[in-house]
Amino acid sequence: MTALREAVALPVVFLTVLLLGGLRVADTITLTPPSPYMLILGLLLVRLVVQSGALAPERLLSSSRSSLANLNGAVVVATLWVAGAQTLAVLAPESGLPRLAVSVFFLLLLLNTAAASPDRTRLLRSFAVTFGAAYVLKFVVLHELSAPGGSRLGGALRALVDGVTLGALIQEVPSRITAYTALSAVTLFLLGIFLLPHRRPEPGGLTRRHDIRTLSGI
Amino acid sequence: MRETATRAAGLGLAVAYAGLIGWMTARQPQTIADVTGGLSAAAGLYRIDDQAFADGLRFFRNDQFTESRLAFERADPADRDAETQFYIAYSFYREGWGRVYHDDRLYAAGLEAIDRAISLAPGKRIVIDDPALGMRTAEELKAELQAGLRRDASDFNPMRLFQERK
Repeated sequence: MTALREAVALPVVFLTVLLLGGLRVADTITLTPPSPYMLILGLLLVRLVVQSGALAPERLLSSSRSSLANLNGAVVVATLWVAGAQTLAVLAPESGLPRLAVSVFFLLLLLNTAAASPDRTRLLRSFAVTFGAAYVLKFVVLHELSAPGGSRLGGALRALVDGVTLGALIQEVPSRITAYTALSAVTLFLLGIFLLPHRRPEPGGLTRRHDIRTLSGI
Repeated sequence: MRETATRAAGLGLAVAYAGLIGWMTARQPQTIADVTGGLSAAAGLYRIDDQAFADGLRFFRNDQFTESRLAFERADPADRDAETQFYIAYSFYREGWGRVYHDDRLYAAGLEAIDRAISLAPGKRIVIDDPALGMRTAEELKAELQAGLRRDASDFNPMRLFQERK
């Protein structure tokens, strides 16, 4: 991996995720940092990225590297952490029961993925599918349910859903720009993970130690 | 050598970018002018538009308060200059002042502007050397605006009809 990618590209990508993911455009523009809960989920996400081999920490931080190079590596890991937390935060609904449900879902999903122990490619696919689904749920389904105006039938359906769920599903609808910035943040985050220095495949196409042990009957 | 320079530049860029995001999260700027104004003020490079400020002052002295505020806002688009914000607050006071009653909406806007001016002033101290003003410090103006918004027995004192606008 080039110094340019490690020192410039990756921190810029992840910090841009932090910026775009925090933008909430409604009547006013606010920049929201990830909550402490999302920062904890972000730690789990970083652990998962390392476990899968999508990030080889020894290629960012090791005693054989110079202090400056290690500092660059530490910046990459730190920005990966906050960007991961921000990506999860931007995909979680803003309030009510959906927020609680999606927050718990993210926790279970990260734990489940860690237990499944996927490799880099499968992890990237898993993130793309999960984040895509969460994006559709928040910015398409819930926003359509919550958006005022539209036809009378739509209004009636909304009133029905609102009544049945005691207002637990209805969300504050931000400007469409928020949806676009969220999509950009998620896409950039996936790109960032793709660009991370990953574990090099070992000879014979085996990338994981326990695969080697299993095949050799140890 | 070239790699070291790239790494050092990347580190500096990351720190600066993270600082910018932190600053934006703390300050919540609403416009690009707020962002550029805030950053240049932080670097000590913010300058108001002197011509627009002079226009605002001229309107203010002619009791054209709406026009003066428009000019002052043009002079200080990022709301970063204490003196300009003081005059904006003063224009709200003068426009809202009435012999019988004061306009609460304008006084409240004035209070907001003077609080902003005080927060921007070095040492929170504003003294304006302008002989046309009845109140030359932020404290006097703020106290006057707060008194105007307060409801008490003095509101019914007939002597207030003889008070003069400052």
